[in-house]
Amino acid sequence: MPTTYVLSLGNVLMSDDGLGPAVLRAFEAQYVVGPDVEVIDLGTPGLDLSPWLADADRVILIDTVKAELPPGSLRLYKKEHLLSRAPGVRVSPHDPGVKETLLALDFAGRAPRDIELIGVVPAVTTMGLDLTPEVAAAIPAAVHAVVAALERAGIAVRARPEPLAVDPWWSTDVKIPA
Amino acid sequence: MSTHITVDPVTRIEGHLRIDVEVDHGVVTKAWSSGQMFRGIERILQGRDPRDAWLFTQRFCGVCTTVHAIASVRAVENALHLEIPKNAEYIRNLIVIAHALHDHIVHFYQLSALDWVDVVSALKADPAKTNALATSLSDWPGNSTPQFQAVKDRLAGFVARGQLGIFTNGYWGHSAMKLAPEVNLLAVSHYLQALDYQRKANQVVAILGGKTPNIQNLAVGGVANAINLDNDATLNMTKLYQVKELLDEMKAFIEQVYFVDVCAVAGMYPDWLKVGAGVTNYLSVPDLPLDSTGRNFDFPGGTIFNGDLSHVTPITTFGDPYFQKNVSESIAHSWYDGDWQRHPYEEDTVPKYSDYNADGKYSWIKAPRFDGHVMQVGPLAQVLVGFAQGHEPTKRWAVKTLATAGKIAGATLTPAVLHSTLGRHAARMIRCCVLSELAAKHWTLLAENIGRGDTTIFNEPVFPKGEQQGFGFHEAPRGTLSHWIVIENGTIKNYQAVVPSTWNAGPRDAKNQPGPYEASLVGNPVADTEKPLEVIRTIHSFDPCIACAIHTLDVDGHEVSRVRAL
Repeated sequence: MPTTYVLSLGNVLMSDDGLGPAVLRAFEAQYVVGPDVEVIDLGTPGLDLSPWLADADRVILIDTVKAELPPGSLRLYKKEHLLSRAPGVRVSPHDPGVKETLLALDFAGRAPRDIELIGVVPAVTTMGLDLTPEVAAAIPAAVHAVVAALERAGIAVRARPEPLAVDPWWSTDVKIPA
Repeated sequence: MSTHITVDPVTRIEGHLRIDVEVDHGVVTKAWSSGQMFRGIERILQGRDPRDAWLFTQRFCGVCTTVHAIASVRAVENALHLEIPKNAEYIRNLIVIAHALHDHIVHFYQLSALDWVDVVSALKADPAKTNALATSLSDWPGNSTPQFQAVKDRLAGFVARGQLGIFTNGYWGHSAMKLAPEVNLLAVSHYLQALDYQRKANQVVAILGGKTPNIQNLAVGGVANAINLDNDATLNMTKLYQVKELLDEMKAFIEQVYFVDVCAVAGMYPDWLKVGAGVTNYLSVPDLPLDSTGRNFDFPGGTIFNGDLSHVTPITTFGDPYFQKNVSESIAHSWYDGDWQRHPYEEDTVPKYSDYNADGKYSWIKAPRFDGHVMQVGPLAQVLVGFAQGHEPTKRWAVKTLATAGKIAGATLTPAVLHSTLGRHAARMIRCCVLSELAAKHWTLLAENIGRGDTTIFNEPVFPKGEQQGFGFHEAPRGTLSHWIVIENGTIKNYQAVVPSTWNAGPRDAKNQPGPYEASLVGNPVADTEKPLEVIRTIHSFDPCIACAIHTLDVDGHEVSRVRAL
């Protein structure tokens, strides 16, 4: 069973919302991790996030974040920050997300021991398959942040001698910079 | 003097579902349901290879991933008149069932139980009395006095630290909360245990689908699961037995916990078996095909009008013209260019936003109609259509549910009470009981077919020159889903998805007939216009899933949703 999870969130059909999956692809193309780390794109799972977070040792999330910063800005968040806001009234299964899953697991005594979020501020989140240039430009820094987070935790990350081609299935036009 | 309430969740970057109601003397007199975000994702598919469509449609919605994948491959297969191998049907069916069980359990415990269960009241419960109640209802081994004491202590610790965490914004202490403290404690305990069953269902989907939530194993023409009983890298007996064990564990939870909890809530809120019926025309499609011809199914489909269970028109095949001819969508009150009502093959998706106008256009959702009628879809439609056709397991579980809830209520409950807010919850649970029985059956069908030496999983699709039209339907957790495709010279010319929440959450049409959400709210009580718990109860009973799209995380969000009473 993996004890560490690298998880991307976001919808690849909604322009910059697909940042997380693009970072994950770039990471997998450049690095190899051991069997104790699961690397997976979860899309927009809402509360369906909880099976990956429950009882995990360590979780690294990659997602777009709403913040008063220029598009492409990278922000890192720790568990305390993610837990510090109260959830709102629930209406649809999409409404609960990361915060709500964490709070629910916290109540159950099963929150991940450590979790951090690597967030990038989007420019455009309407329908479309491409990232905007300023958000795509943040991919290398976000990949580096994933590697740094794993290394800080003492988890082995090995760079591939020859990076794999990054060809996202959702677009032949998307260029993911290394 | 009427009060206008808007329930408008401003989540993520854009809102999803907005509900407006007018309340007069504590009762809803008018209601409007509005999708607040443009979808139109279908346009992304135009010009693409039909064999790839499912990869994209799976991303329509992060919660309903597999269902859009299944409907998409069925649509292309229908257009090509392509049969798929039995193994592929059974593997797809097991994925469909595991996904549905997962989705329904999450909906009841994580998304809607707290509309009925007052978490704070559980602090007053006596764990020993809770256990006595629990053991009188079920022999579930997860019930015990120490377990209930532990949950109560945990809750008390949270409250003592001034942290309600996930429960912060619940309507605790609301006058519409009626359960005894012991029942509340029982439900909170099961809420915690349900997390494990989410994971078990996920494991089934991951083993069969390659990955979850976005499965990897589908193909137009079958599945990509190589079957070799002697190879660890393929689908083999070890993996099949893992699937069986997980499905058996889920079945036990559903029958011993979920069944009992829904019966208890229904029995203790009998008034909510009289409220929230709304539209009593029902539509469901057949699913869980039993062979490769698309003519024999384990779950029946059909239509019922005006709640009349003595007349049901069956839908019997994947290509059934009764379904194909009768579906249309109206944009009379939706933010699209025009006011037409068209068949999905003929539709376009040209957005034209104007302000919210309750008498004019007020939603991004189109209004689907069946032969011009508003239809309710979802587990209730499926259960009633099955019940009316004498579908044995549906009838057996429905009768058992009504008897158990009736005993708790101290009343005789007839199938007519299912036309209601709590009837929708009961139907979802009944559907789970039936599905988990059928999971065992379809697992056996798959194992026996492989045992006979059949390892075929795929029939190659061939795209002729010229134009083909096809549709694929799937009875998804939220109801009838259909994908409609027009293929021209091997590429996609047009694609439309008519999704379950569109049937239910859609706005009025050209004849001003309200949609199912809108109709169901009329007559609902609202005790406190600042806290419209009753409106939320009825909307949640449909299991809304609207946005299907976007997810930017609002880490600093000060206010992620709001209720306005004007």
